[in-house]
Amino acid sequence: MSTSTLNSVTDASGRPGASVTTRSGLSFVGVLRSEWIKLWSLRSTVWSFALVIVVSVGMALLIALASRLDQSGVAIPPEAQVGYVVTASTVGIFFAQMIVAVLGVMSVTGEYSTGMIKSSLTAVPKRLPMLAAKGVVVFVATYLVGLGSILAAYLMASLVLAQSDISAGLAEPDMLRGLFAGPLFLALIAVFALGMGTVFRSTAGGIATVLGILLVLPIVLGLIPAEWATSASPYLIGNAGPEIVASSGFSEVKEGWQNLLIVLGWVAVSSVLAALLLKRRDA
Amino acid sequence: MIQAQALSKRYGSKTAVDSIDFTVQPGKVTGLLGPNGAGKSTTMRMVVGLDRPTSGSVIVNGKPYREHKAPLREVGVLLDAKAVHTGRSAYNHLLALAATHGIPAGRVREVIELTGLESVARKRVGGFSLGMGQRLGIAAALLGDPATLILDEPINGLDPEGVQWVRHLMRHLAAEGRTVLLSSHLMSEMALTADHLIVLGRGKVIADAPVDAIINSGGRSTTRVRSPRAAELAALLANPAVIITGLEPDVLEVVGLSPAEIGDAAARSGIALHELSALRGSLEEAYMALTQNEVEYRTGGSNDFVAADLATSEPQEAAR
Repeated sequence: MSTSTLNSVTDASGRPGASVTTRSGLSFVGVLRSEWIKLWSLRSTVWSFALVIVVSVGMALLIALASRLDQSGVAIPPEAQVGYVVTASTVGIFFAQMIVAVLGVMSVTGEYSTGMIKSSLTAVPKRLPMLAAKGVVVFVATYLVGLGSILAAYLMASLVLAQSDISAGLAEPDMLRGLFAGPLFLALIAVFALGMGTVFRSTAGGIATVLGILLVLPIVLGLIPAEWATSASPYLIGNAGPEIVASSGFSEVKEGWQNLLIVLGWVAVSSVLAALLLKRRDA
Repeated sequence: MIQAQALSKRYGSKTAVDSIDFTVQPGKVTGLLGPNGAGKSTTMRMVVGLDRPTSGSVIVNGKPYREHKAPLREVGVLLDAKAVHTGRSAYNHLLALAATHGIPAGRVREVIELTGLESVARKRVGGFSLGMGQRLGIAAALLGDPATLILDEPINGLDPEGVQWVRHLMRHLAAEGRTVLLSSHLMSEMALTADHLIVLGRGKVIADAPVDAIINSGGRSTTRVRSPRAAELAALLANPAVIITGLEPDVLEVVGLSPAEIGDAAARSGIALHELSALRGSLEEAYMALTQNEVEYRTGGSNDFVAADLATSEPQEAAR
């Protein structure tokens, strides 16, 4: 360290915090901005979101190509055409849910593993505003990226399918539903994962639990030959989630909004648990 | 100003902090000293609400930390140089903390300059040395231009120039009327930096007094005597209240007599003295004496020397 720096210490601290205005204070908007900066200043965020787009577009390409081979030479009714385009545009979302689940968990467990959480909670000692801000930021960022990736996937699918004379406008009800509910599904999964990450405080534990609940639990319940297992199955977040985006016709819970409520229920439980534990535990 | 009242923290059956009372005054540097496991870090964590006290309370500038409208402007804290996400740049780390309080980016650049981090500000913190991590931690603590600073082992990992810089900065901040509380294992550093010491041992306050008072009370006043007739002189001074140690054939260290008394006794018997020097007690000695019985993990040996007397002979400052 040079002498000039030593001098500048004296100079600068001689008129301390000239730019720290008396108006500055802790506010929720400030905490939101802080979390937004935190999210986007990590390379892992950029990579994860880039992967979401790549996976969505890639899957759209694969499915569109497969549909084209399937349907060569046969005229397709318009309703079915919409089905093809919607499927091709949204199928990537179900793979992308794993990426945003990991992102959601790590947005908080990354703070625990590095010790950053101590800085964060010192800046926001009431704690819950930090968790709420993280939730909002993760939700909004994931929603926007999800929306972009579905639009990109739609363009890719349309481009490929157009060669087989299959097309569907964005304004078709099913397409619109996919366009807006797909990102919603992704964003809710990310917030659910954020809650579980806060509960577990460890990346490995959080990711294992979230992916277990999302992907393994539906399979396990499906294998149990009991009536309760069959009737409970539609209420799993892993089964209800995809139903928000497009009805499969297999679920007993038919309406999209009912499935949305189920998913919101899981998100609420995860968030409330996270809030209680964050508030109570020592950091 | 930091005021703790009957502050306690238990982890299961283990008591980390045992009903301590203390006040950290503005305008001076207060050192929090104690062996490992004495409760220093736990105490600091409770001040800023990271750990919840099991009982008792601690307030900063008149309120519990979390009740403040702008906590970062009340208290700047360095608890752990590694309380930073390793994947983020120093600049973005500070910017994110500043954003919570609406502190402008200009202030972020100011503290980066203040701590000498300009050249690495855009680099990811994961590659930082311990010393750079400390500087970043100090930069974060200074962000809100706080009235109170709490720094846990701030000179850990700093090079000699960095140590000098921190000492200079702490003294400067205290001179501006701020409250400065820092912990360190390096007693010699405390002697140079702190005005006042709070010594913790096994979760209790075992001394709370100005640095000078602790040095004078804890350090045994020892006199070094060099004489060609050292053995004779030793026999002459022998007394149950006096401890004489022969270091070399012609050198004695005498505890329990003043240099004047030793010199007079030697003169009366016509013994020549080649050296007669009072060894001032050091903070190290005082600290060792204070904490001898309070060390949690002791390496062996026992010494019941003065710790008990000191706690009573150095009256704790009443909380104001």
